[in-house]
Amino acid sequence: MSTPAAQTHSPIQAPPVVVARALTKTYDTGGAQVHALAGVDVDFHRGAFTAIMGPSGSGKSTLMHCLAGLDVPTSGSVHLGRTQITGMRDGDLTLLRRDRIGFIFQSFNLLPMLTAEQNILLPSQIAKRKVDPARFDHIVDVVGLRDRLSHLPAKLSGGQQQRVAVARALLNAPEVVYADEPTGNLDSRSGAEILAFLRDSARDLNQTIVMVTHDPVAASYADRVVFLRDGRLVDEVSDPTAELVSERLLKLEA
Amino acid sequence: MLRTTLAGLRLHKARYVTTTLAILLGVMFIAGTMVFSDSLKASYEKSVMGSASSVDTIATTESLEDQDGNWEDPVPFTQEQLDQVRDLPEVAEADGVRRGPGLLLDDEGRTFGMIPPEAMTVGEVTRFEVSEGELPDSYDEMVLATTISDPTGFEVGDSVTVLDSEQQEQEFTVTGLIDVGLDSELSYRGAFILTPEAYASVTGAEGYHEIDALAADGTSEEDVATAVAGVLGEGADVKTSTEFGNAKAAEAGANAEMIRTGLMLFALVAVFVAGIVIYNTFAILVAQRQREMALLRCVGAKRGQVFRSMLTESFVVGLVASILGLLAGIGLGMLGIRFGGPLMGEDLDLAVVVTPAAVIIGLVVGVSITVFSALVPALRATRVSPLAALSTSATAAGMEKGTGKLRAVMGILLFLFSGGIVTLGLQGDSNSAAMWIVAVGAIVAFLGVVVLGPLLVRGIVGLIGAPLRHVGVPSKLAVDNSTRSPRRAATAMIALTVGATLITGYSVINATMQETTSQQLDGKYPVDYQLSPMLNMEDEAAEGEGEEVASEDVGGTDLSTIPESVRSDLAARPEIDQVFASRSDYVDSADDRIADDDGTVPVSSYVDATVGEEVEVDVLGGDLADFGPGSVLISEDRGGSLEAGDSISLGDSEHEFEIAAVVASSGMFFGLTLDPEDYEQVVPEVTGDSAVMVLGNDSASSSELREAVYSTVDEYPTVSVTSMAEMRQQFDEILTTAFYAIAAMLGLAIIIAVFGISNTMALSVLERTRESAILRAMGLTKAQMRRMLGVEAVLLCLIGAGIGVLLGVVFGWAAISAALPDIVFGFPTGQVVTFLAIAVLAGVVSSLLPARRAARTSITGALASQ
Repeated sequence: MSTPAAQTHSPIQAPPVVVARALTKTYDTGGAQVHALAGVDVDFHRGAFTAIMGPSGSGKSTLMHCLAGLDVPTSGSVHLGRTQITGMRDGDLTLLRRDRIGFIFQSFNLLPMLTAEQNILLPSQIAKRKVDPARFDHIVDVVGLRDRLSHLPAKLSGGQQQRVAVARALLNAPEVVYADEPTGNLDSRSGAEILAFLRDSARDLNQTIVMVTHDPVAASYADRVVFLRDGRLVDEVSDPTAELVSERLLKLEA
Repeated sequence: MLRTTLAGLRLHKARYVTTTLAILLGVMFIAGTMVFSDSLKASYEKSVMGSASSVDTIATTESLEDQDGNWEDPVPFTQEQLDQVRDLPEVAEADGVRRGPGLLLDDEGRTFGMIPPEAMTVGEVTRFEVSEGELPDSYDEMVLATTISDPTGFEVGDSVTVLDSEQQEQEFTVTGLIDVGLDSELSYRGAFILTPEAYASVTGAEGYHEIDALAADGTSEEDVATAVAGVLGEGADVKTSTEFGNAKAAEAGANAEMIRTGLMLFALVAVFVAGIVIYNTFAILVAQRQREMALLRCVGAKRGQVFRSMLTESFVVGLVASILGLLAGIGLGMLGIRFGGPLMGEDLDLAVVVTPAAVIIGLVVGVSITVFSALVPALRATRVSPLAALSTSATAAGMEKGTGKLRAVMGILLFLFSGGIVTLGLQGDSNSAAMWIVAVGAIVAFLGVVVLGPLLVRGIVGLIGAPLRHVGVPSKLAVDNSTRSPRRAATAMIALTVGATLITGYSVINATMQETTSQQLDGKYPVDYQLSPMLNMEDEAAEGEGEEVASEDVGGTDLSTIPESVRSDLAARPEIDQVFASRSDYVDSADDRIADDDGTVPVSSYVDATVGEEVEVDVLGGDLADFGPGSVLISEDRGGSLEAGDSISLGDSEHEFEIAAVVASSGMFFGLTLDPEDYEQVVPEVTGDSAVMVLGNDSASSSELREAVYSTVDEYPTVSVTSMAEMRQQFDEILTTAFYAIAAMLGLAIIIAVFGISNTMALSVLERTRESAILRAMGLTKAQMRRMLGVEAVLLCLIGAGIGVLLGVVFGWAAISAALPDIVFGFPTGQVVTFLAIAVLAGVVSSLLPARRAARTSITGALASQ
């Protein structure tokens, strides 16, 4: 997996696309304060495929939501490229997500009344962006959806539905793609396919991808894994293997 | 289980807000109607009960049946009879009331009313009480009924001119006003009270129409009545004041009942629409709560328990909403009595009456419509299998499977059936029965729409949605969303269709009536003014008595025709282009092919006009060119088997006439139409006209023409002048007022339907929470989100209203065609455009709250749930 060529162009050395500094998020739950994020500093580099891992309640989803402009941190800053997204108004955040970020969720990624093709094209249509037909064809072929384009989501398998979601997220070459447990609902074979797509698009298309997962096998597809516990970044592994990740994770939970 | 149900209700109470409102409005309408009509009835009754309390016994004249079974005119009581009543030991005092037609000039110097009002005189003892001022006590004083003072503007202290039996003007000063509101004859004709001397001079009539008596000390009402009845004998209807009050109260109550029935029809429409809304809400809730129900089943709830739980839920919702609706209804009734009562011309006691019946009916209707509407969804809930619901993700659903072919076939069959019924209704004669047949056809067609609803939604959205798809992503998504659960959408929209159909139907009927009258009035030779003689109450009764009708008079002078000099005077005016007259009468005929049972036949003639030109006619057989001296036109309904060329005989001297043509029966052509020369031969004793038609000169302005006509008839105050333009305006006003009244009544049903659409949208938004979050994450702005829901709601409303407008136009036209002959179809373009505009607005309004909710939902929260 770690070829010399990949080493020389290691994405980790490229400039950071997403930079978070001193990120905290505090919830008030009936008097008691819960610190979902307790000061997180993290960078994500261009063309890197990074996994965020941690036990349940470690704050990994909250971190992703704050990075993606879906949620507002209590303090700290997040930059996407040169843009500071913390402190932006909701309307601007919406446009930022629309134009510069891609999303893949665990389930119900697709609108049930739109066909696979319409779902893939939806973000471009919302943004009124022209779609490069060559790129569309390429991505559709890569994820192997050519003969499923006119199907409604209900007629697709879970794996096929997630492939539609991947194609949708990649189509516009956003600055960063956030994937929230993209394989959580899939059988292992379909899951492996999805993860391979993500890894390949990071390499071949120089696509920055940040994935939240609790599955060490899924994390092993990434270039780098960061570990979160109790709202803090506690560990980091480059070129992970499933065994290595499991080991670290067990250590965290102990 | 009950505890679970109630806990669920508390948890989901937001989902029931609009349902509650729908039931509330329906119950409010019903309860409001009951309270309003009960209060009206009570105050009517109270006011008439009191009206007779100032005397003890009232005797009125009564019609008697003669030996042939005909009703004779009532014979007035004589002075002798009154004296006999006065002499009775049981009677302390008694006086008579005289009544007879009297001509009174209005503020413009024309006689008041088409029928002469009643001149009256009363004694010391009388049930009539002035509401303002005093009864007259000198010759030149009078009391006016409010039915005369209101339209003319006369007040106490004003001077009013009355024509006496010699047609001489006499001046009277108004000393008081009397409210005869609930005496139908007096309030229709108008009345005024004079001193006995003035009364005698004005009417010249003798006798008493009523005797009012007071009981001697220690004598009961009943004893006085019995004694009075004994003296007056046959031809007298003697009542105690209590009986008299009760009889009047029953009449008045019947009035209030009619108002109740009318309002109740609209209330039922509102309740029906509320039922549809409730059904849809429960159907959606059951679909959304499949998991909840399945969980209940998993932990051991039986089907029956789930079913009962749903029904309990609907019962509680229905009861709460009905109680609120009842309270709102009582408020509405109060408002109605407060503001509507005076509008109805009744200055009555305005106490609000809430009967137990109003409370019970309001609650029973509200609760039962709710439970009944929830029945089918509740049954569906029991079919949820414990495991199936838990394993499938029910919320991503909202997508329905294709609607069956059976539905299409059923719907089309219903439409064909409806078409058949309407065709049947349109054949044959125009009458109200045919209109009811058309109404049944409309209901069948409506059922067709209900059955076809989901397919219609899909089809129409496909059609009108196609261009919308290119407008932008929100519109495109809205179009897709609106067809994802066609059944739900169809039910929501049908609630609106009900109101839209009824309003459009009525507006088409209205426009058609307006157009038809307008065309008739315009005609080929538009008449500007029509002059007619004073109508006489006795005309009807005297009909068929041959020539005697012609000498019918008020106070001895012939008023049943217009003197010929009026016509010639009018013709001499430069502002007037043409004047022609019609004359009609009954003459004897021994010819039983044309004569009525009493041996007479109606004849008429047009003077200074040519039949077929100024006077339009439909010739059915023969040739109009043959019509002239010696020949007649015969109306179709009179002619029987007679044809052009046949001979008939008329009059005492057996004039022979040949039939020139058979013509269609109409207001202008009934019985025989003669040449003017022949008419004079047949009816020699009458020289006046029955009606005079005036056509203005184009160069004269309408005010010049009016001045010309009125100044010419100035010296004939009893000739009544009708301006066709004023008549049309009045007619239009009546139609417009009726339209707005009915539209306001149906408005509530439409508001309820809009609540239903809003509710459907809100529940859909709830169901699509996660979808909305994904869209927002992908960059759909809040404004776009709101627009998406707005477009979806507008689409639903437009389809609902559009189908309603279509049904309304078709069936409104069919109904009026079935009810009336020879109509000219009028299309209320302006109103239809307004309805559609309102539908768009309603869509926007109904999407406001759901859209607000959808836009406000936190993205991360929605993504985390599930």
